[in-house]
Amino acid sequence: MSKQMTEMLKGVLEGIVLAILSGRSAYGYEITAWLREQGFSDIAEGTVYALLIRIEQRGFVDVAKVPSEKGPPRKVYSLNAQGRRHLDEFWKTWSFLSERLEQLHKGGT
Amino acid sequence: MSDTDKDGLIAKFITTVIGDKRRWRQYKARVKQLPPNYRTAVEAIERYVMHFGPSDSDGAASLFEDVADLFERAAADGTPIREIVGQDPVEFVEALVQNYTKGGYVARERNRLISAIDQAAGEDAGNQDGTV
Repeated sequence: MSKQMTEMLKGVLEGIVLAILSGRSAYGYEITAWLREQGFSDIAEGTVYALLIRIEQRGFVDVAKVPSEKGPPRKVYSLNAQGRRHLDEFWKTWSFLSERLEQLHKGGT
Repeated sequence: MSDTDKDGLIAKFITTVIGDKRRWRQYKARVKQLPPNYRTAVEAIERYVMHFGPSDSDGAASLFEDVADLFERAAADGTPIREIVGQDPVEFVEALVQNYTKGGYVARERNRLISAIDQAAGEDAGNQDGTV
């Protein structure tokens, strides 16, 4: 994964994770594994973990501790109403940004 | 750093920053249970955080507990150290530290900067229209 990719991903990772959680609840390891499968091969589990702590503090997700066969309980995250509103906001911002960049790319203004 | 220096730093850290010795001891006990390479990684993060981490005891204790949670879970899943921490460990730890900066002198100084600039820009409370 290029340095440029890492830098760009920083700005949108929160939206990506909220979007993943809008489909179903998940724990950190699952989210990281999914991102890696999608080609974000260098994404660190710790980076996702730091982000999950942040969105929990901001009240976008509900957290449940689920017992695990091996090791400590897993923290399972699910998107709540506030998180959904924030995700809507993210998609609006994303549409604006991608539209403008596409225009620039095509050489228009 | 010699052991004596290190002990001194830790003692100072516990009294000025950690405050809550019980939480600190519980965290240290959990780290001891980790597989050796995970333990080494956590101790390296711990050392960095002592210098550049939260300046309040609650923030610091919560950060250490969350780091222990992450590495205990990763050890159980068999996640390699590099996959937990990533290519840039500093970036990872800094992202983590950002979550615990609501207390202590860092937060105080940030608020002081914000209100000083508000005032300089003529936007302090009671003068919301932006005029001076």
